[in-house]
Amino acid sequence: MNALLTIFAAASLTNVFPQIAPKQHYSFGGSNALAAQVEQGAPADVFASANTSIPFQLYDQGLLEKPVLFTRNELTLIVPKANPASIHAVADLAKPGVKLVVAAPGVPVGDYTRTVLHTMKLDSVLQNVVSNESDVREVLAKVALGEADAGFVYVTDARTVRGKVATIGIRWTAQPRVSYAVAVVRASRHKVAARAFVKALLGKAAQAKLRAAGFLPVR
Amino acid sequence: MIRRIAVLGVAFVGLAFLVLPVVAIFARVPPGRLIGQLGNGTVTDALRVSVETSAAAQALVLLVGTPTAVVLARRFRCRELLVSLVELPLVLPPAVAGLGLFAAFGRFGLLHTAIPFTKLAVVFAVAFVSGPLYVRAAIAAFEGVDANVVAASRTLGAGPTRTFFRVVLPLARPGLAAGGALALARGLGEFGATIMFAGSLRGVTETLPLAVYSAFNVDFDTALAVSALLVALSAALLVALKWRPSLSISRFRFAASS
Repeated sequence: MNALLTIFAAASLTNVFPQIAPKQHYSFGGSNALAAQVEQGAPADVFASANTSIPFQLYDQGLLEKPVLFTRNELTLIVPKANPASIHAVADLAKPGVKLVVAAPGVPVGDYTRTVLHTMKLDSVLQNVVSNESDVREVLAKVALGEADAGFVYVTDARTVRGKVATIGIRWTAQPRVSYAVAVVRASRHKVAARAFVKALLGKAAQAKLRAAGFLPVR
Repeated sequence: MIRRIAVLGVAFVGLAFLVLPVVAIFARVPPGRLIGQLGNGTVTDALRVSVETSAAAQALVLLVGTPTAVVLARRFRCRELLVSLVELPLVLPPAVAGLGLFAAFGRFGLLHTAIPFTKLAVVFAVAFVSGPLYVRAAIAAFEGVDANVVAASRTLGAGPTRTFFRVVLPLARPGLAAGGALALARGLGEFGATIMFAGSLRGVTETLPLAVYSAFNVDFDTALAVSALLVALSAALLVALKWRPSLSISRFRFAASS
């Protein structure tokens, strides 16, 4: 367990993972970008994705050991505290001139965002997108900076910049199923330690920290 | 003899190191795929955005950069300080450049503009990082103009404006052209400041380098093909430059350090 692990993890885990296991090497980013790096032979020991499809696809390619679900999340709409475009509901995003920032298709949160809008029959809102970002933290940063009028992020991301953004809830019937899966990388040279990390992630202590950060337990 | 072989060997390794990644891109992309990318909507949109924004940024750089260089080529107090300030964007990390543009032109920036996330934002990001290359070259070009020739033109009765356009500008032209070409080539590859300040939206702000990046996150083969296109474009630019010996970069004395 003493080997220093290299952990590739979804950007939304940026704050909570170092709380769970402080002394590891982390690389946070869009799950799809990290997966592309794993495919190119990046020296990761563990891969934690903000969806299940990407890790299971890598598992099918023989690059990962079997992924396990370890937490869940929900989406929220965020606006800068000053709310320059006076957005008070998801439908307000359709107003002309709104600068909406989302994650790109292929990035888990980008796909979830499009699912939400589709479920709410608000696909037309995508016409107001001014930028497709490569991970959720870039969306968060541009809204927190006040440069974008609104963006879709995970509930847990919004909590990390509480003073800077206001959240607008998405009704539960429109919430996509956001599950996180983690797996040991087959090419890892620290498999024992990596498996221990994955196991610990499912344990009480780690789950409590995830819960404290706003993540939801796996049902 | 052995020393000569050793030097040649090192030179070969150096060349191979620089050439291999570029060649490798083409080794993995058959020509058919490269041509095929021209039918890919994402790629053609990115190509169009790149050409439009690079052209606009280049115009901005030439129109504003040339007078700036004329002034900075004169001798006056604090000149070195000003020149260093102009050169600063060259050495800034792209992320810092992007943040700086937000701090200056963002909605909550010093000037409160609505520029972020627009095509103009791409032009600003490109001009901010490519401009210094041109201005630097232009200062050197204007400094290289023989003061005696300028004085002769004045004593023969030509006014300052006429002297500038008929004497100074033609003499400085090779240096200006080389600097302009370098700035254009650098601007075409601009990535970091653009993705921060202008975001990435197909057909509006997604330039070729941004398209390569987003394609890499989804599909390595497409990313390779778009890269090949970008290499071809940049190579064409360089070759076009070499074909006009008077504009040759290798004659440009700042080339080695920039």
